Amino acid sequence: MSGTELRWQLRQLPREIDPPHDLWPGIAARLRPARKGRAWFAGLAVAASLCLAVGVAWQQGPAPASDPQAELVRREAQALTREYQAALGQFEGAPLPAAIQPALATLDRSVAEIRQALDSDPGARFLLDQLRRTYSRRLSLTQRAVTG
Amino acid sequence: MLDTAVDLHATSADIPVSPREEDHALVRAAGGGDVRAFEQLYRKHSRRVFAVLWRLCGHEARAEDLVQEAFVRAWQALPGFRFESAFSTWLHRLAVNTALMELRARSGGEALEIDDAALDAHATPDSAGQRTALRVDLERAIATLPPRARAVLVLYDIEGWKHEEIAAELGMAVGSSKAQLHRARQLLRTRLGEDDERD
Repeated sequence: MSGTELRWQLRQLPREIDPPHDLWPGIAARLRPARKGRAWFAGLAVAASLCLAVGVAWQQGPAPASDPQAELVRREAQALTREYQAALGQFEGAPLPAAIQPALATLDRSVAEIRQALDSDPGARFLLDQLRRTYSRRLSLTQRAVTG
Repeated sequence: MLDTAVDLHATSADIPVSPREEDHALVRAAGGGDVRAFEQLYRKHSRRVFAVLWRLCGHEARAEDLVQEAFVRAWQALPGFRFESAFSTWLHRLAVNTALMELRARSGGEALEIDDAALDAHATPDSAGQRTALRVDLERAIATLPPRARAVLVLYDIEGWKHEEIAAELGMAVGSSKAQLHRARQLLRTRLGEDDERD
């Protein structure tokens, strides 16, 4: 066998080979169950848990104010916005592709419109849901753009 | 007003996701502690990792140990993954590094050894055709090479690494990497020639 032929044969060897056994159980047994995630991921988790809390509070919580429903929506919207801004802050300074800027701008406009609508109709729970979903989309799009 | 966001969401959901993006999504989940996401990464990449580790160490059982060790190390290192490269590339590097750790620790005298145990392990006769027979002969011959020569040959001729990368990974001079490759190829040709004569 010539040197050229040998090198060609080596290049033709399969890049993937099935292990003879399933090695996953041995790996899984050695993984620690709880690990600290990335900062932005923690931010998303906080935002997600907050969204859940909004729903629970909405269903269970009696509000002390004269217009309890409106007060609850207002406070939850504020909390949701704080958490969203904290999560988004994790991406501050990261380069974003120009191609997604229009989509981000559209989502930002939607956020502004939803918040204006909430000011006009503070008891509208569906607006709170809209705000949560729009924040989630904005975070998700930013996250995908940053992390590639 | 709010319809805009709904439409945009529907559009973004239709965008096809590349394998690299899929991997990165799984890495993000696994980095947050999601073991199931990490298992999906294992299912996708274990065959590639096993192939390179098996060739580097020359022993099936040892390769299995190294695959497990590599994935455990990958799990521990996931928070440091920077999403600048493909996960498969990052994992491949980590796995190779895992296999080479013990090689780097060996003394130079062992570089002259011929691995008889590997020879036995790969000595299974094959009857599925000449091409397959040649591949098996080649794999068997690679496994019998001295460890350092084998590592250089596997990384250069099969995996496509550069001598500079191999030398850095193995802690040797670039010239030594080239010399080991030359020696490995000569040993392989000799070995395969012996097989031809025996047949």
